[in-house]
Amino acid sequence: MKIEDVVCPFCGCLCDDLVVEVEGTKVVNVENGCTLANEKFMGDHRLNAPIRRAGEGWEEVSYNEAIEETAAILLDADRPLLYGWSGTFGEAQSVGVHLAELLGAVIDNTSTVCHGPSIMAIQEVGHPGCTLGQVKNRADVVVYWAANPIEAHPRHMSRYTTFCDGFFVKSAFRERKVIVVDVRETDSSQVADEFVKVNPGGDYAVLSALRAIVRGKRDLIPLSVEGVSREQLFRVADLCMSAKFGAIFFGVGLTMAQGKYKNIRNAIELTEELNRHTKFTISPMRGHWNVYGSNEVFTWITGYPYAVDFARGIAFYNPGETTSVDVLRRGECDACLVVASDPGAHFPRACAEHLAHIPTVQIDPHVNATTHLSRIQIPVAVTGIDAEGTAYRMDGVPIRTRRLFFGNYPDDLEVLEKIYRIVREARG
Amino acid sequence: MPLSLVYYAKEFLRGEWARKFLAAKTAPLEIPPYFRNYPELTGKTCTHHLFCMMACPAPGAIDVISTPEGWKPRIHIGHCIRCGLCVEACPNGVLSSGRILESMFYDNTRLSFSFRIDVDQTKCMGCGNCAVACPVNKLIDAQMSHGGRASTDDLLLKVSEGKCKVLHVEKCTGCKTCEHHCPNEAIRVARLLEAVHAPEEDI
Repeated sequence: MKIEDVVCPFCGCLCDDLVVEVEGTKVVNVENGCTLANEKFMGDHRLNAPIRRAGEGWEEVSYNEAIEETAAILLDADRPLLYGWSGTFGEAQSVGVHLAELLGAVIDNTSTVCHGPSIMAIQEVGHPGCTLGQVKNRADVVVYWAANPIEAHPRHMSRYTTFCDGFFVKSAFRERKVIVVDVRETDSSQVADEFVKVNPGGDYAVLSALRAIVRGKRDLIPLSVEGVSREQLFRVADLCMSAKFGAIFFGVGLTMAQGKYKNIRNAIELTEELNRHTKFTISPMRGHWNVYGSNEVFTWITGYPYAVDFARGIAFYNPGETTSVDVLRRGECDACLVVASDPGAHFPRACAEHLAHIPTVQIDPHVNATTHLSRIQIPVAVTGIDAEGTAYRMDGVPIRTRRLFFGNYPDDLEVLEKIYRIVREARG
Repeated sequence: MPLSLVYYAKEFLRGEWARKFLAAKTAPLEIPPYFRNYPELTGKTCTHHLFCMMACPAPGAIDVISTPEGWKPRIHIGHCIRCGLCVEACPNGVLSSGRILESMFYDNTRLSFSFRIDVDQTKCMGCGNCAVACPVNKLIDAQMSHGGRASTDDLLLKVSEGKCKVLHVEKCTGCKTCEHHCPNEAIRVARLLEAVHAPEEDI
């Protein structure tokens, strides 16, 4: 059976034009999707049943047993951490926030190690952004700053920016200019009209130099700024200022480089300066397919986008204190529920070590690095394949993912609701 | 030394030699019609098929540029080897050089083109830049050029199973847009050029 307009639950592009062929409970062919989408749909490495650590090995347990033990672990903990959420749908995220409130837990999503600093900068100076549709139909200058879309968001350039014909940009790649800024040559820089190679950690200075040029202070610019020649900076600034509509996309290379959220603040302020000359927007390249959704859901329920601490009975947010890396590094948390993410692969070693010491439960369809730190793993349906729910694209557009077939696994929502019910009964 | 000077003077100051040197009658400096010079524009309309670029064996000798009057081939004299393949290849007679076109007509010959697209499946990320940028795809399926959704299998290229797949290589015009815009250097377009002796009615 061929299913059209399938939504890809891999990266923040959330492409919704895939054609997927299904036989029974197996995906047999994927059309229009990139390599990452193909692997996501065709991959067949799911865990069969919940597993629990037994001595040196693992034993299979029933869903009810795994769920009851998870609830017991969370109820027993003084400072539980509920981490992840970016790889599941909004409805499940919502139950997660309510569970955190009931437990007095810290709840955090993967933004904490990716675009958290972007959110902090946006909280300071706002977000002059737009949807990807606007970029597709209008942008004649596209800047990728410290992002490599070809590897991380393969269809971003062909679906929304450089190569895609738009309503006002009839002959896409001939009319659009692409500027790539990075510390090294990448696949994306291969297709750039202008590649700006910045010294590692030099983004802030380069952004400041561009701001000065856009403000008309060319005389102040030294011969070279962090490895970028003055002539190239003038060229880039002129290209941006002469655009009819420009769009900056920035990646984790900017948020996690030296300067962190100050880099993003500077980039947003550069966008603001450019808007004195033309129309310019800036948007983060969000990684997980629904990381934007986790920020949305957290914000509409608690008021804060990530790193929310309910220990005081009210929502408290202080990045650097309530962020999961800090909570784990200080050894504060005494139980952890990981949902739809892989901190074992992405967190600092000290945090992973602490996760291995405390009872950690993972809810995820696949075996990953966190499995090896966990006490229990509960496999669930993969959203977008055998479960459906709402996700937010990287530009904040909500898109409902589709269920392609009914499988044998419960989805995140069912498992979390069961845990929530047990906790609510116990806490009265 | 003085002897040598005398010898030279005897040799070059002969009246007969000086007369011949100054009043020599040479052939007029005109290029004969059979001489194959650098290609020139005939003024006919270029339709941007790029066959001239594809036929040219000398790197950088010809390109087709967009001018306010439309597309025009541009010959780079220092690179051109005057082989005349571009003149033979052009379907619209935009270029001329000597009697190439006449001799093609009398000899009943023509150039036959075909192209081969190789995709390195290990390098391809399935980003779809090639399929979306492809001008042939653009004419076949507007949805493809507006975001990479393939709505027909008549396309030249499309992304299937996470990789770029060549569906109808016979539709390729050899423009190499896909090759130039592949960020992974996964696509190579090769030109297969054959000189054929065609039946009279084909010309």
